[in-house]
Amino acid sequence: MASIDITDVRKAYGAVKILHGVDLTIQDGEFVVLVGPSGCGKSTLLRMIAGLEDISAGEIKIGGKRVNELDPKDRDIAMVFQSYALYPHMTVAGNMSYSLRLRKTAKEKIAKAISGAAEKLSLTPLMERRPKALSGGQRQRVAMGRAIVRKPKAFLFDEPLSNLDARLREHMRGEIKKLHQDLGATSIYVTHDQIEAMTLADRIVAMNAGIVQQVGSPLDLYDRPANLFVAGFMGSPAMNMFEGVYRVANGGSVELAQGIVVPLAGPASTADGTKVTLGIRPEHVVVGKDLAGGLAAEIDLVEPTGFGTILHSRAFGRDVKAFSLERGLAERGDTVSVSFPVERIHLFDTASGSRIG
Amino acid sequence: MASEPYLYSAPALILIVTVMLVPLVIGISYAFRDMTLLDPFSGGFIGLDHFRAIAKDKTFWLALKNTVYWTGYSVALQFLFGLILALLLDKPFYGRGLAQALCFLPWAVPSFLSGLNWAMLFNPVVGPIPHWLYGLGLMSAPDNLLSSPTHAMWGPIIANVWWGIPFFAITLLAALQSIPRDLYEAAAIDGATPFQRFRSITLPFLAPTIAITVMLRTVWIANFADLIVVMTNGGPADRTQIVASYIFTQAFRRLDFGYASAIAMVLLALLLVYSMLIVLLRQTLLRER
Repeated sequence: MASIDITDVRKAYGAVKILHGVDLTIQDGEFVVLVGPSGCGKSTLLRMIAGLEDISAGEIKIGGKRVNELDPKDRDIAMVFQSYALYPHMTVAGNMSYSLRLRKTAKEKIAKAISGAAEKLSLTPLMERRPKALSGGQRQRVAMGRAIVRKPKAFLFDEPLSNLDARLREHMRGEIKKLHQDLGATSIYVTHDQIEAMTLADRIVAMNAGIVQQVGSPLDLYDRPANLFVAGFMGSPAMNMFEGVYRVANGGSVELAQGIVVPLAGPASTADGTKVTLGIRPEHVVVGKDLAGGLAAEIDLVEPTGFGTILHSRAFGRDVKAFSLERGLAERGDTVSVSFPVERIHLFDTASGSRIG
Repeated sequence: MASEPYLYSAPALILIVTVMLVPLVIGISYAFRDMTLLDPFSGGFIGLDHFRAIAKDKTFWLALKNTVYWTGYSVALQFLFGLILALLLDKPFYGRGLAQALCFLPWAVPSFLSGLNWAMLFNPVVGPIPHWLYGLGLMSAPDNLLSSPTHAMWGPIIANVWWGIPFFAITLLAALQSIPRDLYEAAAIDGATPFQRFRSITLPFLAPTIAITVMLRTVWIANFADLIVVMTNGGPADRTQIVASYIFTQAFRRLDFGYASAIAMVLLALLLVYSMLIVLLRQTLLRER
């Protein structure tokens, strides 16, 4: 177990810059999720921590020790790959014991380590099988088993659940969380799936275009996204965003298209006339009939999810999405009234993208 | 009409039978007949006389021994250098595309041309190799390797190795490139050294390809008389005579088609047995995956 310190780490392939200086400290035993769209550099960062990619500039320390120049095997980390990367010609037991055999661990110790791991992951009846005779979920568990027998300083996960179907993914997500609670090992987990990020992480690192956008607890990122990227990336259905102009009058308000004015909870830290973007999550949009201060909206699509209903509507010439747990709130073609509760509104500077209220 | 499907396939079948089966059967029948091209009265059935003659034919046994020597060293060296070349070409480097194309070039050279070229290179009058070997102290005088009674076989073997490396390099490179990269990464994290990675990932993945290519090359090289006929013509004193070149000599120099055919059948039987063994080996390897 160990902490990981990442200081101004950069990566470039020739002139192409992938990471533009990442600073991040991961506490001992913490579960950190790197999340972002494809190509944001999250996998590259993970592979640099693992030692599979060179570090162009900056420093990575594991357990207080600089590892920039160390080979992967000397960093004492374990990694679970998206493809699982199981050795096809070795049995499950062979896969799990490979690293220990390479380290010339005593036979009894190996047997104990792999039977313990197999127990934990319910792999005991499969120990003599080869990977090709296993299902996707079983392979995934073997890959995890291979990582935990080593008792490494840190676990690295590179989109480990992406190759599983939705139901199995949900199940394995739970398994990974339980395993982490059991072992308490420092873990870094890369995913593009925000649900995985939200459910697993102690802290989420949201990345885009090689830059860390925000670091914080899952609910921090959800409730107070630091910028437009995080606001748009976290949450499904995605946050409604409306461009407008900030007005100081009436203790702060935003003037949207067609002269619609939405009041804010308080004055924002910007000048009158600044171009701003107002964000509100679909589940916070109130839908009703003749709401006080409500805006007229015409429903043009209703998506029942079973759990709730997503209502797509058109108001002041913009698309407004609302999510409601109530069923039968409106039908396609209905005219309803929507309102944005002031305490639920996020305000961003359109030019810089940063949160201003 | 019940025979209709057969009528449709008849043209193809007739073609195959006339150009393949008929000559094969006639060829096999030669082995049991006295067939000498220049003797108008030959052609009679003589039973197993040819095979009895083979059993006592010293040149045949020498040729068989030479075949094993020739095939063994040629395949082993072609494989070794082909594997090294494939491993080198598998790593990305600047100009890899060009290097690959150049390395595969010998394969495109007609075998008899490369044989003539190598014969010239080994010739002390026009070629440099004897002088280099002499300069390195490997030879006591810059003589022609091809006329050495003890080492003449190494001339065609060297030519054959040069010519055949690309085959192994191409097939092994294709097999190498089908190995998932993350297996190597997983092994690197697990603590495997480059050699351990080669042994526990590369070799098991290559094994089925190795088995099939080594088998193919062995059969081809055992039958491959071009270089020998061009470079040494079996000499000096049958020192480089392999079974295939001996068949060629018997059939087209001495015009004894019957005897040549009998030797060819012996070679065919030996190669069939060998191939069966390799196929069995390959299936065991594939089952292990």
